[in-house]
Amino acid sequence: MKRSRKSIIAMLSILFIGSSLMSACSSQNTTPPKSGAQLWGENCIRCHNAPPPSAFSDDQWEIVAMHMKVRANLNSHETSEIVDFLQMAN
Amino acid sequence: MKTVAMLLMVLSISAFGQDYTELMNKVNRAKPGDSQFLLRGYAHSGFEQFGESSSFVGGSFNPIFLWRQSDKLLFEAELELEFEHGGTALALEYANMAYQLTDNLTVRAGMFLLPFGTFSERLHPRWINRLPSSPLGFGHDPVGPMRDLGIELRGNAKLGNRSLTYSIYTTNGPSLNTSADHDLEEAEAGMLNYQNQEDNNANKALGGRLAIFPFSKPSLELGLSGQFAKVGNHETDYEETMANLYALDFSYVNNLTFLKGVIDLKGQLNSINVDEAAYFSDEDSAFYTFENQSQVSYIQAAFRPAYLRNAFVQKLELVGRYSQLATPEGSHWETNQDQFTIGLNYWLDWRSVLKIAYQVRGGGDADPHAEEEASDHGDESSDNAILIHWAFGF
Repeated sequence: MKRSRKSIIAMLSILFIGSSLMSACSSQNTTPPKSGAQLWGENCIRCHNAPPPSAFSDDQWEIVAMHMKVRANLNSHETSEIVDFLQMAN
Repeated sequence: MKTVAMLLMVLSISAFGQDYTELMNKVNRAKPGDSQFLLRGYAHSGFEQFGESSSFVGGSFNPIFLWRQSDKLLFEAELELEFEHGGTALALEYANMAYQLTDNLTVRAGMFLLPFGTFSERLHPRWINRLPSSPLGFGHDPVGPMRDLGIELRGNAKLGNRSLTYSIYTTNGPSLNTSADHDLEEAEAGMLNYQNQEDNNANKALGGRLAIFPFSKPSLELGLSGQFAKVGNHETDYEETMANLYALDFSYVNNLTFLKGVIDLKGQLNSINVDEAAYFSDEDSAFYTFENQSQVSYIQAAFRPAYLRNAFVQKLELVGRYSQLATPEGSHWETNQDQFTIGLNYWLDWRSVLKIAYQVRGGGDADPHAEEEASDHGDESSDNAILIHWAFGF
């Protein structure tokens, strides 16, 4: 029971800290939209090394991107920007 | 003369026409249809030494099949083929279809990896996992759900420049092993079984994960997961027994320019809480009970000097991990263990890696959840191990 209480307290603490950070940081929305290259660099490495654009063909990138969109919870705009960058750069 | 010139022109046009037609035929044959298919996956093998016993291990191969039927519809499936006990074992890791409802929302149905923390869903593939072994309690027989059959809604939302991701699902859920179940060993009474092809009762598990990215750059991710279900078999004394599962996870991945490298910090805590119930012991011919709570956790740090000029050094990566496993006191599967692993990786390319690690395990008896955690073979009751693995993603 003690372990469970500690876990719940830890969970709530992390959520509270995260929420506070988000609210503190989201007071102003002045950042321009991110480029496909930036989104590629920032999101892929959350789990694995970022693949080089030459890793797949244009058609293959369409499939890979859709797979990663679901797995990494990306939205359609972000996915489209990343695919455009990879297809242009490969 | 004019006639000859005309004749040559007609012949040239005719020849060009034939070449053009052949070229167009080739183009049309190569033109992709609406259905797009891609075979991806990963494989691994290695060498492990536990105490005085050693063995070459692995030989596993995980093909991932992806069908993109349209801009909105995707099917994904992964198999695991493994050389095991002198034969080839084949297992279905997941098979599901995903349909994009809106730009931010996707529905999935079938067997899918559960968003219960991040290790099982995203980090367990051999070419992604930074160490040759999985953390205690996070292997193929984990303390916490890894995959299940059901339906899931998942997506993201923006809060200014920040974002959050969410997932909510309903699945068959885990089932409770009891000493009254003659198909199972008495020693497993009170343990949850997460691999259920069919539901053992009318109650469905409800679960989900919420993750927040506090900064504009998604370098920091904080996640909270939960799953709640009745786990006892239908029409038994255990039918109302509830299991409340929680997981906390974090990830911080960022380029550190002053160190000329990439830092990757990850961690997860799983807390498994099952209602107290009485289980029958054949040995004592009596019922016994215990506070049914298990907990596993790990924290891992990796650093790769990817921006150093030396081509060899920039492919190296140093990794350290500490993990803990604690199962209920008073159960027949009681254990309390911890493990420290330190490793050095050499990246052959972005998805192929040679991993060398030294692992020390302390405390407790043999881990009932650890059949495939630290190795595929070898004497896992030994404390110290040397693990050398090679993983290949494609």
